[in-house]
Amino acid sequence: MITTPKELQEWNDEVKNFTVIDVRPEVQRKEFPLNGLNTVVSNENEINLIEGSKVLVCQFGIVTEGMIIENDLEDTYSLLGGAQAWIEFQNEQFDLSRWSRQTVLPEVGMEGQKKLLNAAVAIIGMGGLGCPAAQSLISAGIGKLKIIDGDKVELSNLHRQPLYGPDDIGQLKVIVAKEKLERLNCNTIIEPIDNYLNEENGLSYIQDTEVVIDATDNIQTRQLIDLFSKESSVPMVYGGLFRFEGQVAVLNANGSAGYSELFPEPPSGGDTCADAGVLGMLPGIIGNIQALETLKLIVGIESNLIGKLLIYDGMSHSTQIIQL
Amino acid sequence: MMDVTIKCFSQVKYALGMNELNLTVDDGLTTTELEKLIREKAKGKLDGVSLRVSVNQKYVPHVIKLKDGDEVAFIPPVQGG
Repeated sequence: MITTPKELQEWNDEVKNFTVIDVRPEVQRKEFPLNGLNTVVSNENEINLIEGSKVLVCQFGIVTEGMIIENDLEDTYSLLGGAQAWIEFQNEQFDLSRWSRQTVLPEVGMEGQKKLLNAAVAIIGMGGLGCPAAQSLISAGIGKLKIIDGDKVELSNLHRQPLYGPDDIGQLKVIVAKEKLERLNCNTIIEPIDNYLNEENGLSYIQDTEVVIDATDNIQTRQLIDLFSKESSVPMVYGGLFRFEGQVAVLNANGSAGYSELFPEPPSGGDTCADAGVLGMLPGIIGNIQALETLKLIVGIESNLIGKLLIYDGMSHSTQIIQL
Repeated sequence: MMDVTIKCFSQVKYALGMNELNLTVDDGLTTTELEKLIREKAKGKLDGVSLRVSVNQKYVPHVIKLKDGDEVAFIPPVQGG
């Protein structure tokens, strides 16, 4: 019979009555210890002398499978993948503790964390909104991040785009961002796309993700994201800025309104950050609200901004929520 | 006559120079008529800026008649990111 590291962990947690028998030579036992298990050491000839349920562990799970068959051992399990699999499983368990401060939240829990670890998100625009949104999602353990921007780092970006420094000026934003983000969490797959979203490529950037974050700085691209979000049924987390004010809405989710319903074309007005000016803190706040709404969508937290437009005023710190 | 409150956001706030405006207007004034009034008060600063309307924190895609005590917001698109 065979047991997996997960089952063995469960038996261990339940204090089930069984004996773990390490059949490996001393050199392997010392180099690859079975942390978290109480073990006895035995060789093939003495296993039968141990009473009760037994789990045999060798280095890769092959030797013990053979032992059980050859000696016709009853009530005896071979650990699938052996010590190697146990160590990998333990490392994985250890990794999950990285998010213990968020998994302890009943709204997230271990199930929510697993959803985050398996989720893919696209961020269109790696400027003022995209940088903080990416940082927060990477730190939260998102599985895959597609970062899309054809722009290069400029001196005037630095006050509000914290992934970039003076040494990065002239470099492609997505390449620099990937390098910096990987330092925060090397387990997230980061796919940098050094291109602007357009009518030809947009669908391919969005369709294999769970959520698309609109972190662009122009209405035309926003309209395209809306179009592809609808076409691919991928919810869009919209964010926009004007001086001390920011807007966030979750669009095209569960039949909610899209950007084209909010601002039927062709909307006009709305200066860019270059024209209107912006403090670095405001995109930090709005980009993080976008990341928060993205996390809620992935985990399935019902209190969210689906079908609502949040308007945040950084001067008075007042918020207004408009039902769409 | 009836009283309405206008919440000012982004360009509307800067064009009118205030966060909030209380107006006494004719009974049955529509959202479109109020928008025209606001644009006049902005003295050209809102020319070319699309505005969407919410009444009592609910987005209103079509023209409606306002009631006494209504809170109206004119929301421009914001572009920065």
